Amino acid sequence: MHETALMQNLIATVLQVAEKHNAARVNRVVLSVGKLANVLPEALSFAFEALTQDGIMKGAELEIKHLPAVARCDSCGHEYQVDEWPLSCPACQSRSFVITGGEEVYLESIDCVEKSVHGEGSEG
Amino acid sequence: MTRVDIKRDLDALNKQIAAANRALFKSAGLYVINLMGSPGSGKTTLLENILPRLQDHVRTAVIEGDLATENDALRIRKTGVTALQINTNGGCHLDARMIENQLSRLDLAALDLLIIENVGNLVCPASFDLGEDLRMVLLSVPEGADKPVKYPTAFLNAQAVAITKTDLLPYLNVDLDEMKRYMAEINPKLVVFETALKGGVYEAERLVAYILEQVRQKKGK
Repeated sequence: MHETALMQNLIATVLQVAEKHNAARVNRVVLSVGKLANVLPEALSFAFEALTQDGIMKGAELEIKHLPAVARCDSCGHEYQVDEWPLSCPACQSRSFVITGGEEVYLESIDCVEKSVHGEGSEG
Repeated sequence: MTRVDIKRDLDALNKQIAAANRALFKSAGLYVINLMGSPGSGKTTLLENILPRLQDHVRTAVIEGDLATENDALRIRKTGVTALQINTNGGCHLDARMIENQLSRLDLAALDLLIIENVGNLVCPASFDLGEDLRMVLLSVPEGADKPVKYPTAFLNAQAVAITKTDLLPYLNVDLDEMKRYMAEINPKLVVFETALKGGVYEAERLVAYILEQVRQKKGK
């Protein structure tokens, strides 16, 4: 439900990075989203589109990579991917675990076109 | 074209502020509960009823989170407990910065227990650490037995659950044992409490005793 706020934060970060790299345009943004992050990829894509209607991100593409949920067994330390509930450790069958992955939302990378030496935006 | 690798956690700022809040709570010996649950699950009603019993033993304050109005803070203040109201203006959850902004309004050293009532929502609040010691989810009987498997993250990240409105069980087609089974499927470590309103009395003795014990343990450290 907070995808738009998340996307505003993401775009502010992208613009900062783009400025630092002297970018004339940002063509692509890669984001990774964990299975337990409570954000809906469709809502993220929609917010991205809505928030990149103009400026150097206009028309940029958003790629969303999905990260699995991961649990670590309290009994034997084995880490395993969470596919369905209830969980039990594939190594020792213990039902006691802590979640160690799947809640993250990471800005992975951006593809940008640098400003030409003449100072104008390149169409690269 | 240039690829710039960034690898930045978009939740990093919230995690950082939550850690600072937690350090502040620790130095003040203050035990903090983040209370979450759907709208209407009975969060404010629970507080109205347990606060006078808690207040007899520990110095308590409440932070209320809602999209709009000061209604909940007004209800809490009637119990004699200090209550601050945060309005998120449409925001679906509280974050660590909102809590940090309220802390200067409280004398933390003069408190033992702070209860934060999150925005009514079983989804988003689960993704935002506020710096609390205990996450407690409220699930009311009328919401249905299978909510824990439908909304797993709220239950995964919690340490305790209070099942509220158990007095309504005779009138509803909801199986309490099934609800508890679903909770244990998602998170076998959950401590589960039940509350009920019977003959005008709000029953929550085990929950009150549990909170008092947790506060006492933190003070003792």
